[in-house]
Parts: sequence; structure tokens; C-alpha cells
Amino acid sequence: MEKNIAYIALFAALIAALGLVPKITLAFGVPITAQSLGIMLCGTILGARRGGLAVLLFLLLVAIGLPLLSGGRGGLGVFVSASAGFLLAWPLAAFVTGLIVEKWRSGSLALVAGIASVIGCIIVMYMFGIIGMAIVLDKTLLQATGFITAFIPGDIIKAVIAGLLTAAVAKARPASVLSRPAQNHAG
Amino acid sequence: MMHNLKKNLGESTDNISSIDLQKVCLYIEGKLVLNQLSLHTQVKRLGIIGRNGSGKSTLSRALSGLIEISSGQLQVAGIDPYKNRRAALQEIGILFQNPDHQIIFPTVLEEIVFGLRQQGQNKNGAAQNALQTLATFGKTHWQNVHTSALSQGQKHLVCLMAVVAMQPNLIILDEPFAGLDIPTKHQLQRYLDKFTGSLIHISHDPLDLQNYDQILWLEEGQVAAFGSPEAVLPAYLDEMHKLGDSDDISHLPR
Amino acid sequence: MISLTSPVETRAHSWSAGLKLGVLCLSTLVLFSIDSLIIQSAFLLIILILYALPGPVFMRYGLSKLSILWPFILVVLVWHLWILELLQGCAIIIRMISAVALANLVTMTTKLTDMIDVVRFLTQPLQRFGLNPRILELSIALVIRMTPVLLNKGECLGMAWRARSTRRSGWRIILPFTLIALDDADHVAEALRARGGLTSSHPETRS
Repeated sequence: MEKNIAYIALFAALIAALGLVPKITLAFGVPITAQSLGIMLCGTILGARRGGLAVLLFLLLVAIGLPLLSGGRGGLGVFVSASAGFLLAWPLAAFVTGLIVEKWRSGSLALVAGIASVIGCIIVMYMFGIIGMAIVLDKTLLQATGFITAFIPGDIIKAVIAGLLTAAVAKARPASVLSRPAQNHAG
Repeated sequence: MMHNLKKNLGESTDNISSIDLQKVCLYIEGKLVLNQLSLHTQVKRLGIIGRNGSGKSTLSRALSGLIEISSGQLQVAGIDPYKNRRAALQEIGILFQNPDHQIIFPTVLEEIVFGLRQQGQNKNGAAQNALQTLATFGKTHWQNVHTSALSQGQKHLVCLMAVVAMQPNLIILDEPFAGLDIPTKHQLQRYLDKFTGSLIHISHDPLDLQNYDQILWLEEGQVAAFGSPEAVLPAYLDEMHKLGDSDDISHLPR
Repeated sequence: MISLTSPVETRAHSWSAGLKLGVLCLSTLVLFSIDSLIIQSAFLLIILILYALPGPVFMRYGLSKLSILWPFILVVLVWHLWILELLQGCAIIIRMISAVALANLVTMTTKLTDMIDVVRFLTQPLQRFGLNPRILELSIALVIRMTPVLLNKGECLGMAWRARSTRRSGWRIILPFTLIALDDADHVAEALRARGGLTSSHPETRS
């Protein structure tokens, strides 16, 4: 029980910390904020339930007025902005990502975690994000989709990185990867 | 490959880095941590001693160019380490207190190769030089070991190797032995003693610095004393024991 | 950790948080069901007046929080200029700014503790399903406590990178960062257990 609370709280803190450190540069000189990577890792490392709760807890703290989103943003305003759909989808994204990692046991963890991140944190998240954006900006779903296509390549790179990171964490701390309890990894 | 080792093989006198501080002030979040600090020295082994909170760590980061001073002049080996990062990376290496907050890569070889690649070496050259460093330390068998599988002392050693591999003329050590047991400390000290460049060793324990050339005693961001170990260390110990009898632990930070 | 509550005291600071949130929800619903540009503009004007009432410091700070909306404003403006429906575009933009500004106003005039009280109230029904309110409050406290700790360690990692590279830190640094979070989680779990743990069949009787 204590372990659950501690892991959920610490990963919520990790999402916050990843948003507050300076931007990280990807391989091709593209700067990204690492926060969305944190959402992926919540799912791939903590699993569906705990990962989802960690992200939910994080959003709760943002809602009550803490500047934990990247750039020091926070408060209630972000939940009615055009990007609110994405934000509100974060817990579900982590949940779906975690569910895939928990259930899909064959193959390399890096691959599974990467694909899980794409399905959960890109496909599912974008679905809700597009709906939210369409509502706030009074556009059709298709039009809203057009606005955000530019972000997809960057997010796919993030998903690949999330896969690699998950596999590396599993090697270093196998007992801490709660999405795969007591599992031996072939690599 | 021999030319890579030339720097560390006995060309001692030319490699002593000069430290030049003139009225250096450094504010961190509004608090004055380094206060009009002036220092000029050029020795092989410099010790910096002081209480926690005296500004020792801040000074180490300023000397290695990782943070910017607020006013004054700071030069190490004739360069401004903050503005001239490229030269600083060639000249100065720094070892931090906690290897868990310092080791970035999953395997030992990757950790050592990282700095070499950043210095501009290509993949193969960096790998070769990294292996050479491992060999110098007698740790060739560590190359594929996962860094998380290592003991604390072993992690400290990996950090040291990663720095030494970049062949700096000066290594700054910020309390490198914190939390290590006595045997590990002695073993690491032996590896340190082999380094032929200059060392700046920061510690709160005088025993670590007894054989050093000069000691700087830092107190509240200022020079409390500066001289030979025999001159500075006994006075430091006296003061520390006196403070131990007081209760300044009660005072809250302003 | 500093919250986004404004240090400039306003009358709204003492109003009930639940009331403010209720009014906010209602207003946002109304905002999104109106199409008239005139009414939207009136709304925005009222909100701007509310921002101006506590003084220039409050207003400047509050308005600066709206500047992050510029990409959306730009996209909508360009889009609606293109399809020659500028008025509709303005209505959309004004509505979005109003909604965000009003929500931020609630955040700026409500203390953290008051918000947590509301959360406690709202999660009361969940207690029937086993949610222990103490655990929620503990979790909130833990995140607030541990975020600066993790940030510090992250900065150390950043420095360890910069000590060996002139380039900005890459994604590789997230690995040790995650390991640190996992190790801290283990330590916190230990500390919680050492202080009596969390499992209790009678949460009301615990001191």
C-alpha cells in the first residue's frame, strides 16, 4: 500500500520535474519538453492503474493551482483552453499505455513500450485532444486534426525514446517496473 | 595511441592550472554566497575546507564554469570557464558528491565514452580511448557492466574515470568521499594520487587534505584563512570544535 | 512550492472556493452556448474589469498568463481571415480568452488549502468505494514535497552533463532521472511504513 502511494506520488512529481527542467534536445536538434515523455513512462513503468492515478494526481495538483506544467503553467485556465482536451486525456493515455505493456508480454520491452506509447499517448490522446480543440475553436474534427498534424512526428520520436528508456529502466531496476511484476526480460 | 597518455605521464610543472579570482561575488536566489572572494594560486594540490553552507560547492561550480559569477573576475588556467565552455571542457573536470546524480548512462563504457564524444572524438576513437582509460585503472573487465549494478565506491570510480578520460589538466572534487567507508575511501584516494594534473579537493574533513600544498578555508563565502595545511588546518579544527559547543543549528536561514 | 494564488489580496480571496468554482462552471457553460459577438465581448469586458479592480500589479500578472494562448489566436485569426469570416473568428478568440481568464481568476483568488478542502468535499462520495481521504491528502502533500527534491537532483544531473558537454542535455538524462524517482519512491515507502503505515480499518479513530 505504502509502495503504491509512494510510486504514484513520486511519478506525479517526476512529471512535474520533467516539465520544469530546461528543454531537452532530441537527436536532430529538435527541442522538446520532456513532460509528455513522463506521461508515457507513467504507463510503461507503473502500469495501467498506478500510471493513470499518477497522472490524475498530477492534473489534480495543476488544477488546484500549482505551476507544474512545462513553462510553469497551471491553474484552472489550462483546462478550458484549446489544448485542454489533450491535458484531460493524459490519465487515460497513461492507462491505455500501461494496459498494453501489462498484457502484451512477448517481444522486447522496448518495442512493446514504444508501441504502447504510440497507441496510448498518441492515438488515444490525440483523439480526445482533437475533440477538445474542435469544441473550443469551433472547428470540425477534420480541421482540428489538420492543426495538430505537425506535432505527430515529434511525438512518435518521443514514443521510441520512451520504449528505449523503459527497457533501460527495466534492466537497472527490474523490481521497480510495476507494469511487469517479477518478470525476467530477455532484452 | 601513446600520444593520448602523454599528458598524464610526468609533464608535471607545465600543467599546474592557475586559479585567479578577483572580488568574485555570486548570488544564488538573492542570497550572497560568494562575497568579494579574491584568490591567486597555482599549486598542484589545493584543498578547500569549510562548514556546510560556507560556499565551497558553489565555488567549485563557479571554478568549473557551470554557474556564472555575479561580479568580479574569475579565471582558471587563463580562461573564463563559464564563457568559454569549449576550452573549459578541455582543461577542467569536476567530480560531484553523489555518483547517483552524476552517472547518466547504463553501462560503464558508455559513461566514459560520452565525454570523449562530446570533445569531438569519433565513435571508434572515443571507444578506444575509453578502453585505454579503463585499462590504466585496471578495470577493462568493467566495460559492459551496468552502472546500476555497481557499489557506491565503484560508482565513484566510474565517475573519476569518466573525468580522467577527458584528460583535463585540473580536476575539481566536490566532497568526493562523502558517505564512503574507510577502505573504499583509501582505495579511491590511491587512484586520485596517481593523477598528474592539478587537483582542487573540497572537503569538510581536514584529514583528507593534510598532504596538500595549500588550503583555502572558506567561511560564509569569504576567505577565512589561506596557507599551508600546518597553518590553516589546526585553526580550522579549533573553530569547528568551538562551533560544535554552540547551538547555531537553531538559526533559520534568512 | 509556490502556488499560483496571487499575493495581492482581493475580496474574492475570502469567498467560498466552492462558490467560485460553481460560478466558474456555470459561466463557462453559458459562454460556450452563446454565439453573439456582442455578448461575448461584454463578458470579456466584465472579466477584464474584474482583473483591473485589485490594481495594476494583479492585472499585469493575470494578463501575462493569457499570453500562452497566442498560437491558438494566431491560427484562428489566419484561418478566419482566409475564409473571410473574421467576425466569427473574433468571437471564438474572445470566448476562449474569457474562459481561460475567468478560470485563472479563480485560481489567482483561491488559496491552495481552500482548493484542497473542495477536493475533499467532492471526493466524499468516493469514500463509499474505499477511497481513504487521508491517503489523497497524503499523496498531494508528497508530490508537493518531492517535486523540488527531484528538481534539485535533476539539476545535478544537468550539471553533470554540462561538465562534459557544450550541448544541451539530451533525452539520455531522463534515464537516471527516472531511476532517482524510483529510488526516492522506495525510500518514501520505507519512511511511511516506519511511521505506522497507511493501512487502517478505522480511519476515523486514528489520531
